[in-house]
Amino acid sequence: MAAANTAAAGTATAAPAPAAPAAPVQVPRGQVDLVDFIDWTGVECLNQDPSHSIVNALKQTLRDDEGLHLASDSDEQLLIYIPFMQVVKLHSALFKGPEEDGEICNSCNASCVITGPKTVKLFSNKEHMGFSNVNDYPPSDTLDLSADHLVENKPATLKYVKFQNVRSLTIFIEDNQSGSDVTKIHKIALYGTT
Amino acid sequence: MICIDNSEWMRNGDYAPSRFQAQADAVNLICGAKTQSNPENTVGVMTMAGKGVRVLVTPTSDLGKILACMHGLEVGAEANLAAAIQVAQLALKHRQNKRQQQRIIAFIGSPVKYDKKVLETIGKKLKKNNVALDIVDFGESDDEKPEKLEALIAAVNSSDSSHIVHVPPGDNALSDVLLSTPIFTGEEGGSGFAASAAAAAATGASGFEFGVDPNVDPELALALRLSMEEERARQEAIAKKAAEDTENKDHASSSNNDSVMAEAEPATNAADDDKKEQPKDDDDLLQQALAMSMEGGSSGSASVADAAMAEAGAVDPDLALALQMSVQDANMSSDSDMSKVFEDRSFVTSILNSLPGVDPNDPSVKDLLASLHGQGEVRSFLFLS
Repeated sequence: MAAANTAAAGTATAAPAPAAPAAPVQVPRGQVDLVDFIDWTGVECLNQDPSHSIVNALKQTLRDDEGLHLASDSDEQLLIYIPFMQVVKLHSALFKGPEEDGEICNSCNASCVITGPKTVKLFSNKEHMGFSNVNDYPPSDTLDLSADHLVENKPATLKYVKFQNVRSLTIFIEDNQSGSDVTKIHKIALYGTT
Repeated sequence: MICIDNSEWMRNGDYAPSRFQAQADAVNLICGAKTQSNPENTVGVMTMAGKGVRVLVTPTSDLGKILACMHGLEVGAEANLAAAIQVAQLALKHRQNKRQQQRIIAFIGSPVKYDKKVLETIGKKLKKNNVALDIVDFGESDDEKPEKLEALIAAVNSSDSSHIVHVPPGDNALSDVLLSTPIFTGEEGGSGFAASAAAAAATGASGFEFGVDPNVDPELALALRLSMEEERARQEAIAKKAAEDTENKDHASSSNNDSVMAEAEPATNAADDDKKEQPKDDDDLLQQALAMSMEGGSSGSASVADAAMAEAGAVDPDLALALQMSVQDANMSSDSDMSKVFEDRSFVTSILNSLPGVDPNDPSVKDLLASLHGQGEVRSFLFLS
């Protein structure tokens, strides 16, 4: 795994710049970026690569840095737990992943491209879930991200009704666009109100 | 979560006294180290063989419970490593305090019948769930076992949190070998328990003052410390008044006392061997002291002194010995400098304050102190409630 990551990093630096610059983020009207309300002491991410950790995707300064990303470790799934400092209402979520022509994943036999998340399940107010019981509960919402979602900086709207009283959010990334062993996320942004 | 291998292979005697016993000692040591290093640590124990894969005690910080469950474990059957790791994971998942880090310590003494691939998938699953794994590889060693276990650790390892230790059979006890490994010393860079245990094992005598561990026997340590202080004070006073001490009886008795004190000092400073001789001496000294206190001094206070001594002695013979020694001093020389020491209120109250179970504000104690000064004689009455 370590070898795959370093090889991937090597090709990333050599890869050409993205074809078209992404559009600037349009914060939905009336919503704020909830990054200020995240309780950082409680943020956890299962199956993350230690050198590419969750803060790279969540924190204000780090997430806009193109060189930093969150990567998964043993397989492509990720389980992110985000507690908030106060009760919030979630409106939409933005996921930013690598480009279509990103680096090749070295670990699996098929030469598939390392890509961003596809099926994302969100659970509100469920603490300390593990991979074993994540499918025992119905998710508060399920997002099926397409490649456009990941690149165009367009937040995906959530079922607002289900996220009225959110103390903590669990994001389960079930698979990714290409089906490779590694899922990469450049940025996760949550929009809503308090 | 500690996984014990109690399969048939553990009957072998290549680790003294038997593999299973060496393993049990190591487990006890690890439990002690973990519970001491951080009060929030919890340890659970489970078996991999014997009656089957079962959890003997769920993660708890109660060391007594953990040690008790190790009793009466039977050796037999084959170890089922995969199932054991799964059960351990489940036990860790249902821990009380979700903020604790999850770790499995597996003692693997029997041959590993799984192949590398299976072990690697097990390792990956552990890593995915953020569980660290420590392996103690001992006992049976076939060609592939070290490789397989190394592969397992490599699969689990994330930023150096998992370790493997290979212990070949030999003179060194399993626990001693483990003491210096990262399994014991842990992430935080060492625990006091492990360090002191290692020091004790190395020097052969405890590094504590007076050769008595205050944790093990606080009363004895306290009594010894008290008698040391009294002796020190007495020696200083004697040095000052050496010229005045001309009476043979005093000389003889103080030299007798010196020999008693000198006996106490090597006992307090040296290792455990001397302590075996002390109980015999205690009885002799007890007789001596009782006899002497009967003869000399005012009978009334002497009998009260005896009563106090008997009461104290009934509670703790070692404490009684210390008291005896101090009373002997008093009986020996009437204008002993101890009287000056004891008349020093602050000294007495400080001693009383440091003793457990004695409240200097207790009216009976206050009366005593008043009577002490009134009598002009030296007694130390300690009522242990």
